[in-house]
Amino acid sequence: MKKNSYWSPYIAGAGLGLTLLATFVITGWGIGASSAFSLLTGVGLGKLSPEYAHKITYFSQYLNVEAPLLNWVLFEIMGLFLGALLGSMLAGNFKLRIDKPEHMSTGTRLITAFGGGIIIGFASRLARGCTSGVALSGGAQLALAGWVFVIAMFASGFVAAALFRRLWS
Amino acid sequence: MSAPFIVSQTAGLVLAVVLGLFFGLFLERGGLGNPHKLTGVFYLTDFSVPKAMFTAMLVAGTGLYLLSDLNVLDMTRVWIVPTFFWPQLLGGALFGIGFLVSGYCPGTAVAGLASGRLDALLTMLGIGAGSLAFAIVYPAIEVFYFSSSMEGATLPSLLGISHWVVMVIVYLMAGGMFYVMERYERNR
Repeated sequence: MKKNSYWSPYIAGAGLGLTLLATFVITGWGIGASSAFSLLTGVGLGKLSPEYAHKITYFSQYLNVEAPLLNWVLFEIMGLFLGALLGSMLAGNFKLRIDKPEHMSTGTRLITAFGGGIIIGFASRLARGCTSGVALSGGAQLALAGWVFVIAMFASGFVAAALFRRLWS
Repeated sequence: MSAPFIVSQTAGLVLAVVLGLFFGLFLERGGLGNPHKLTGVFYLTDFSVPKAMFTAMLVAGTGLYLLSDLNVLDMTRVWIVPTFFWPQLLGGALFGIGFLVSGYCPGTAVAGLASGRLDALLTMLGIGAGSLAFAIVYPAIEVFYFSSSMEGATLPSLLGISHWVVMVIVYLMAGGMFYVMERYERNR
């Protein structure tokens, strides 16, 4: 019964909701995730090739500030990693592996993991956030943004799953 | 002094780690670091994602509006997620495809890696690459990116009704959805 070592999603969801509420009350904004990846990419490119990075207008929001890495969402993501590590360790859930559907080859999985990530990275910037910053935070505020994002995401996920039936099932 | 208590940068960053820690703990414990569970909803095999997500929204939303009505929280100082209708509709639709293909979203990929999933690390690198791709094409799509701005629009303000009426509608919708999901899971 190792498979059922997770908590009820309602309990975990209530915990997430209380965490989000505490964030609103303390800071005045919600939680985020995707912007940390954009920030690290911008700052990383700024180190590798300052000249090219400064030509990219979108990254100027990271490169024209004094200490871009002292960023709220980036620190929150570091906490997220530690919290999830703690959770998986304590539950005996931690295992180094490539997680994939049974029928999929490891090579294909590496491509779907990376390729799907590219789509997510692009989509999150276009939508000004992801499941955390727009869907959860915006949805809880009853902001139109959150509900537009959630509905579009689920609708397209269902269509994509119907088109790629063998991807995960 | 009423909330939100915008804190100093150092204190803010310490709190970011603490709040993130709980965020990650609940994500992982809810099974949301596991790509099979994350994509299960799209194949009608596992409903952890909508259950956890809508419960979280209801709890946080109820608390937010309750504290605001009790004058504990000053809503005018809370940053409302801005709406740009078409970019967010298209972004959300694209996101759904990426979510299904990779099996993760940005936060859950970090939770996936923290439970030892190396494929999640590739998704994280992909998210960086996708952000770079966006930044490169940004000048060409900037007009679209700023189009259909409805800055600060909320469902209660758009519909011109009390936030509690909207909240009750959301409760009923989520409750109905949870009921159908539980029944479906039991009968399978």
